[in-house]
Amino acid sequence: MSATTTEPTEKALKAQQVIDLLGQKLNRQVVGSLVACVHCGLCTDACHYVLANPGDVTYAPAYKADRLRKIFKRHYDWTGRVLPKWVGAATVDSEADLEELKDIVFGKCTNCRRCTINCPMGVDFATFNRTARGLLVSVGIMPEGVAVVSKDQWEIGNQMGVLKEDYLETLEWMEEEVRDELDDPDFRIPVDVPDSNVVYAINPREVKYDPRSIADAAKIFHAAGEKWTMPSDGWDMTNFGLFSGDDALGGSVSRRLYESVEALRGRKLVISECGHGYRSSRCEGPNWAKRDVDFEMESSVLTMLRYIKEGRIKVDKRRNPEPVTFHDSCNNARSCGLFEEPRELLSLVCMEFREMYPNRAENYCCTGGGGAMSMAEYTPRRLKSGSIKAKQLQDTGAPVVVTSCHNCVDGLTDLIRHYELNMKVTQLVNLVANALVIEERVVVPVEEVPVAVPVEGEAPVLAGRVVLVADDEEDQLEFLASVLEDNGATVFRARTGDEVLTLARREKPDLVTLDLHMPGRDVGEVFELMRGDPELKNLKVCIVTGKPELRRLIYERSVRPPEGYVDKPVDEKRLLLNVRKTLEVVHREG
Amino acid sequence: MPEISQTLHFAENDLQVWSLTFMALVYITRIAWFLRFKAGKERQAPTGAAHTTPRKGILYSWAIIAMPWAMESTRTKPLLYAQFVVFHLGVAAAIALSFVIPYGPGLLATPGVETGLRVIIGAAFIVAILRIIRRTRNPYMRAISSPDDHFSLWLLTVWFAFAFLSVSNSTAGGEWQLVTYFVLTAFFLVYVPFSKISHYLYYPFTRYYLGKSMGYRGVYPLVRSKARG
Repeated sequence: MSATTTEPTEKALKAQQVIDLLGQKLNRQVVGSLVACVHCGLCTDACHYVLANPGDVTYAPAYKADRLRKIFKRHYDWTGRVLPKWVGAATVDSEADLEELKDIVFGKCTNCRRCTINCPMGVDFATFNRTARGLLVSVGIMPEGVAVVSKDQWEIGNQMGVLKEDYLETLEWMEEEVRDELDDPDFRIPVDVPDSNVVYAINPREVKYDPRSIADAAKIFHAAGEKWTMPSDGWDMTNFGLFSGDDALGGSVSRRLYESVEALRGRKLVISECGHGYRSSRCEGPNWAKRDVDFEMESSVLTMLRYIKEGRIKVDKRRNPEPVTFHDSCNNARSCGLFEEPRELLSLVCMEFREMYPNRAENYCCTGGGGAMSMAEYTPRRLKSGSIKAKQLQDTGAPVVVTSCHNCVDGLTDLIRHYELNMKVTQLVNLVANALVIEERVVVPVEEVPVAVPVEGEAPVLAGRVVLVADDEEDQLEFLASVLEDNGATVFRARTGDEVLTLARREKPDLVTLDLHMPGRDVGEVFELMRGDPELKNLKVCIVTGKPELRRLIYERSVRPPEGYVDKPVDEKRLLLNVRKTLEVVHREG
Repeated sequence: MPEISQTLHFAENDLQVWSLTFMALVYITRIAWFLRFKAGKERQAPTGAAHTTPRKGILYSWAIIAMPWAMESTRTKPLLYAQFVVFHLGVAAAIALSFVIPYGPGLLATPGVETGLRVIIGAAFIVAILRIIRRTRNPYMRAISSPDDHFSLWLLTVWFAFAFLSVSNSTAGGEWQLVTYFVLTAFFLVYVPFSKISHYLYYPFTRYYLGKSMGYRGVYPLVRSKARG
């Protein structure tokens, strides 16, 4: 058979598979939502995509919903079988049709559910949009980022492909950091301790980009005197199945998490601050996994709040004097009813709280939801639709926005940079840890043990290290370079991709801090060339970027990923912490 | 009671009974079809505030249509909501009229009833015209409307007009308006199960399942946005 005759058959096959699978996925809730829409248009203004793109009807929730509804009507509802054109029924019969559907369900909706709560008929568009995503994923039609992340979660067990040794190493690193900070030799980040009261599961983003949040949570558990642990396996509480619509992935990931808690005989699973992780693990997981869960599960927001209320930790809100506002994650607020507790907690750890409007279940999406941060092809749309969120943030006048979701952290950070809002994003765990009052340890000197005396003129932490700092923004370059020089490093400066290669080859630095967006040679290519160069392949690389959406330029390459990663804006403390950590990374391969 | 022709008698009685029977049969089939699909099960422990329950969620969900303040979409569009109320009152009044005329015409003689029906149905007719304008002129509404959406709205508009003309139940100027009203009513009854007008059949189900889930998860009853501050 020639290629020309094979192609249409294969395309038709995929369309037919989608139609057949739709029949298997239909349940009463989904069918109800598919048949009940009266096209009243009241959902239109509920969608941030519509508000940010006036006049473009393809963003209207009812319009988007009809892309799947028409297939349902044509094949599963007899009104559409009898009078297809009359009731707006139509089939899909080519890959172009499926691609069009993909563009709608992945690229024009974040499944935020805001239209759902504004529909007089109770049509849950977000739920069947997820169903549509699942149908496309099952025939291999999805944005590249969704495929990559899903693959990582299937194969490696977490959605960012973090290896077990990197995870454990990060925990050790954070343990050392907090131990030094608290000057408390008893401080531990316990791993795989059986019969603990709390098993703490996190988002792999914390390991990769935000280890400080792990340290902060650990500090809080320690201060509360909690018997807690982190599992060495099944520690990822996120679940890309929620975004991809793949219930099989959702079930597998949930089972892995639940089984890790059961293996440790943990009493309670505490889920770190993550909207989709909380919804997936706490609410949808047992449904996808088709099993009941015997242990309790709660968001770390509730855990922290309880610790304060029970007097297990003391906090001083004066340590967080800046005015803050709060962004409700869609998954937390609109799908799990978690919106008052974060506010209560904020009132205990911050001096000034400013409500943004609208809020709670009526809040607008950060635009990073529904896996949007992993779909780079839709970034321009996402940023444009973010104008609604940006206005909301700006109107508060607060310099800090707090959220209980890692996706939202990335989504908001991106918007703040894009719309130049001069705000920063943080999470409750960071604020609680910052406000934590820890009694100073009373050290009783033991005569037999010689007391360590600080050595005058002790060498700076980066003494003897050579660092190549690459950034095209002069003020950033100077800031990074001066911090590193002040701490003893010898610093070389590069402003283009080509300069990075030249200086790296000539100066043989111990570390390169690499901005992802520079003129000249593509930074991804520079990175790959360094990894492929026998003289540079062991050079440590720490990404320092203000464009997290460009991570894929580096992380999706088939070479060893960078040893470190820091989001801009970066302060001196965080930069040093990450640079030191990056320099300490030991590669185990070979 | 005025003498009426056999045609009008047929249109008022037998035709209505047959149409109603047909509609009921199709509705039963439709509900049986809907219930053939399995209901999704929620296995997790409840979330949200303790006072929110599936039962409260369901009741709230069913009642939400009568609480314009509950949803932002109705709260911020009071005129559209008022139109919705008038339109549906008009539907109820016009349906009631189709029973009153053949089975209880004396009721129309009760002071205020005829005027009341005339006002409600007349207002609903005006709203229906406004709805036609909105559906054809608003680009979003145009984009989401199927031929059935347009036809159903036109059908109801014309039906309102004839219901309005039939409220007096007078044949003094001829029976044409009454015959047309009853024929339209019969057509309406037969057509409804095939069209978007049958949405009220699904309303209790969609809102039941959404309310149950949202109540279980602490989202329903919705907590409105607190003021900026």
